[in-house]
Amino acid sequence: MAKSEKPELMVNGKRLDGRMPGDLRPVRIESGVLKNAAGSAYVEWGSNKILAAVYGPREALPKHTSDPEKAVIKCRYQMAPFSSLEEHGRTGPNRRAIEISKVTKEVFENVIIRENFPGSEISIFVEVLQSDGGTRAAGITAAAVALAGSGIPMTDIPYAVSIGKIGEHIVIDLNKIEDNYSDADVPIAISPRQDKILLLQMDGNMTREEVSKALSMAKESGKIITKLQTDALKAPYLKISEKYKNGAPSLPQQPREQQPQQPK
Amino acid sequence: MQRIVVPGEKLEDKPLRIDEAFIDDGKTYSTIMSMYDDEKKVLTPLEGLWYPRSGDSVVGVVQEDKFNVLIIDLDSPYRGLIFAKDTNEDLVSGDIIEATVKELDKTKTVILGRPRKLAGGKILYVKPSKIGRILGKGNSMIKQLSADTQTYVVVGMNGLVWLKGGKIDLCTEAIVMIQQEAHTSGLTDRVKNLLEMGK
Repeated sequence: MAKSEKPELMVNGKRLDGRMPGDLRPVRIESGVLKNAAGSAYVEWGSNKILAAVYGPREALPKHTSDPEKAVIKCRYQMAPFSSLEEHGRTGPNRRAIEISKVTKEVFENVIIRENFPGSEISIFVEVLQSDGGTRAAGITAAAVALAGSGIPMTDIPYAVSIGKIGEHIVIDLNKIEDNYSDADVPIAISPRQDKILLLQMDGNMTREEVSKALSMAKESGKIITKLQTDALKAPYLKISEKYKNGAPSLPQQPREQQPQQPK
Repeated sequence: MQRIVVPGEKLEDKPLRIDEAFIDDGKTYSTIMSMYDDEKKVLTPLEGLWYPRSGDSVVGVVQEDKFNVLIIDLDSPYRGLIFAKDTNEDLVSGDIIEATVKELDKTKTVILGRPRKLAGGKILYVKPSKIGRILGKGNSMIKQLSADTQTYVVVGMNGLVWLKGGKIDLCTEAIVMIQQEAHTSGLTDRVKNLLEMGK
């Protein structure tokens, strides 16, 4: 598209959807949504809808992919054919999906204690049901919750968010339109405990100062995301604890099965 | 007071050797979702995997029947092995067995001993982290369950529970309930209540 057709992304210091530069889109995270998976999570991040599932550790197949010293991580990021208006996910993994699967895998290689499971594999599946920019960040956030919920030992729960530049403004969490027409889009994944960057992919140009300013904004929003992740993980347990808080048995008092009366 | 902790959450400001925890920069952190008791310094897993230990009783399914060795599926990254010389029973692929962990290989193979065939019945998959609660203190919970429902129950530390006979549905319901509510207090009374009503 020609430069002249570039839409106005910032109006009066506000973004197209009314957010301020440092605002996240509304995020909702749910843990344990799939019964068959060892761990799973569903994330709604603005208009993004993402499902993540974790299986394993299990025997690494084919055998030559296994590592005798530690577990291998296999990740599949995939966009559903109906996820966007563009040509995503029409048939199997494409170049973009393979790339995102690889970077997601590398994020989790840094936090999973893989030495506990030599020779086995841990499979992470990220399915994008609906996309609106920043799906790799939302996918990593979802997969982190799924992994923590599966009982696989980890040193941290990472989160991811995108940072970018629109004209003079440094913004975080870019949506689809901002992603397409912004001056820079940088998805980053951070391990909050260690304050380590696990993923950084720069698309566009930003100066050193701009990146450091954006990073501090991302870390600020990361506190919100981390809180949502831990709350989602704890929610199913707290719900049951809450039910029996008063110690009173809350089972129905009458017998559950009424035996049919025998005719005399 | 117990609190729920998530992976990477700080347990203590000093280095302590606790199961399923790690020490970084002189502080102790959890590696899994668990309940942490600040006073007793005990971490009780909410979600966790089975790490085989010598002497563990397991339930598995015979996967492959080779010439002098049986390969057992333990529903875990570890594969069970039974040498033909250790058993007199005629085990074939698909049989359910109960066995004891005899030896741990350096790789992820677990050598099993004293296998016993479990004929009929059904297998229930539970989270390995909840097995402790299903067994109860000194196996009290499982004894109670077995006595009240007249079901024959074999619990494997790997997260497989074999059930046969009696009020099998009631027993299953009770085990599922224990699994879901393992982190709450007063569970024993609620299980008793459930069994009373199911009688």
